[in-house]
Amino acid sequence: MNIARLRGWGLATAISFSLFTAAVQANDEAEGVSNARSTVASRPNIVFILADDLGYTDIAPYGSEISTPTLSALAEQGVRFTNYHTAANCAPARAMLLTGVDSHAAGVSNIPELLAPEQRTQPQYQGELGDNVVTVAALLEGSGYHTYMAGKWHLGASPEKRPSRRGFERTLALMDSGADNWEQRPYIPLYDRANWFADGERITLPEDFYSSRFLVDKTIEFIDSNLQDGKPFFAYVPFQAVHVPVQAPQAYIDKYRGVYDAGWDSLRLQRRAGAVELGIVPADTAMVDMSTTDDWNALDEQRQRYEAKRMAVYAGMIEAMDFHIGRLVAYLKSRGEYGNTIFIFTSDNGSEASGAADQMAFAQTIGSRQLGYDSDYDRLGLKGSFNTIGPSFASASASPLSHYKFYAGEGGMRVPLIIAGEPVRQPGELNRAFAWATDITPTILALSGTALPGERYAGRPVLPLIGRDLTPLLRGEIERVYGEGDAVGYELTGHGALFQGDYKVVVNQAPLGDGQWRLFNIVEDPGETVDLAATQPALFQRMLSRYQQYQQENGVLPLPVGYTQMRQLFFNTLHKKSGEQILIFLLTLLLLLPFYVAYRMKKDVLR
Amino acid sequence: MNRILKILVLLPAVLFLVTGLRWLVAPTGVASNFGLTLDQGVGLSSQVGDMSAFFLTLSSCLLIALISGRRSWYYPAIMLLSLTAIGRIVAWLVHDAALALDLIAPEIIVSIILLIAARRLADEA
Repeated sequence: MNIARLRGWGLATAISFSLFTAAVQANDEAEGVSNARSTVASRPNIVFILADDLGYTDIAPYGSEISTPTLSALAEQGVRFTNYHTAANCAPARAMLLTGVDSHAAGVSNIPELLAPEQRTQPQYQGELGDNVVTVAALLEGSGYHTYMAGKWHLGASPEKRPSRRGFERTLALMDSGADNWEQRPYIPLYDRANWFADGERITLPEDFYSSRFLVDKTIEFIDSNLQDGKPFFAYVPFQAVHVPVQAPQAYIDKYRGVYDAGWDSLRLQRRAGAVELGIVPADTAMVDMSTTDDWNALDEQRQRYEAKRMAVYAGMIEAMDFHIGRLVAYLKSRGEYGNTIFIFTSDNGSEASGAADQMAFAQTIGSRQLGYDSDYDRLGLKGSFNTIGPSFASASASPLSHYKFYAGEGGMRVPLIIAGEPVRQPGELNRAFAWATDITPTILALSGTALPGERYAGRPVLPLIGRDLTPLLRGEIERVYGEGDAVGYELTGHGALFQGDYKVVVNQAPLGDGQWRLFNIVEDPGETVDLAATQPALFQRMLSRYQQYQQENGVLPLPVGYTQMRQLFFNTLHKKSGEQILIFLLTLLLLLPFYVAYRMKKDVLR
Repeated sequence: MNRILKILVLLPAVLFLVTGLRWLVAPTGVASNFGLTLDQGVGLSSQVGDMSAFFLTLSSCLLIALISGRRSWYYPAIMLLSLTAIGRIVAWLVHDAALALDLIAPEIIVSIILLIAARRLADEA
């Protein structure tokens, strides 16, 4: 790596921060403000773009056939991380990304929609960001940044948990796990409506809403409103794309007609080849056959056509997201801010496979029809249409990795990460160091010259960050930020993993997993095909011990008896939607039962 | 038909009898089946006393109903079981307890069997 190309941005940032801190600490208010303005101007803007449920090879810089010219351009002038990992589902990932603290410690072991009542009694199982952590936005705001957010929040909907109270100066936020991309409509029966808020207040979406366009419009509006004051900004843009329901404008869908006619097996191989060609994965990367992948050739022609369109909509949704990221880039260029802006692009977790294999099967359409959706071929992906890609194409989306969202396999946890922009220019660099979701916050803090939080923040104790600053990797000063002995643990509903050096121990529970721990070298074997537990028993046992230590340190609880995600989602939906009616019915039953028994006994006596 | 019905009543009656006796003689082994951890002192006294009484009363009612042929003995058992199921659902709705379907389902099914038995098995006394 050519260090001379780095333009000394690290040093400049550090000096800027020192000057800024000195300015703030000075009691001469006028002079302090003046100094602050002059110094903060040299600090970079940061745009943190988060895709939702994007698979490892879903964008062109990682081997995809999907056209993502904006992300490709960013990748060409920045660093692509090939061994970056995140949580296997949404809110825990977002908690780690925004705080640099483990998801359990931050109170977000799982999304609230999937928490069992007995779990909710524990602080680490709240499904919303705890008060024991401070967000990167709050720290940046405190250090002189404008902080904006437009997109999915999903870290707490109560007033004190909304992003407007967690460090974001201007916000447009979806509070739910997802929502329709074309209108203000919930996508699962759990929600009565799609809960959108702007600056902490509930709002109604405009008639011409399409999620990716609207979120970028709002981001531009936020940035533009304060650009003249010269302060840098942090813009967090967590897209809905490509979360369920998978929807895209017709023009984008049309571009992918026929592209997926060869099916998911072919695409999984094609994506693997693309990733190998780009150097994303080793040339000899092997792949497992996921048990949930159907036999494409066994489908009739009509079904193949339908499945190919499901994936075409998905591809269109990704390209549409890329297009709107491009609009943001173009805006920044037009305002002369592009040269001072760092872009971070990643996904909250791997590709989503929980859509039905046969989307048109009657049982699968009950929930979506209840919400007024259809899944007809002609209108697939458009307004009023409910679409997913299903588990078979999800495996292709995560190619060449195994498993997908909600599982601790690489397909659920390894996703793209691009850090780019003129201030960190590293043309086309690939970085193979292990990186973890909690590293994003300390990296942003370092890029912005913002100090790490101390033991207390805003009058309350806060947890220290566990993430590592990735900027030495960006500068090419070191080869890895985690040493051979450093371990990173992770748990989600009994699925578990521990990363150490090039290795990973992992367990996946039912229905896809068998509950057995395995050991993989994820650098040489990212597809997790060769279990090394038997050949390296000492390492295996050592890592299992470290995992137990991780569980103890982070309050990981055993799963409640009989817990499964789908079962819990059903119960929670039933409780929320029909709880009152059920309670009234039961109390009525309770009152009537003694009378019924008395009546029956009296009747028996009279016989 | 009545013979089958009597067997369907006898089976839970025996199961309840065994469960009640287990609560009396070896509560450690049976407590976990109900998601309970054994308490100490008065708590343990209540757990053993109440749970054994519940199951022994249930089984006694059913056995008396079968032996005496008096259908009125089914009703206390029906009330105990159905009220338990209702209580479990109320606990889920109001008190954030787990929805213990593995326990609720048998309680409802046995209640229905007992209701049918109470209607179909004529008084023999």
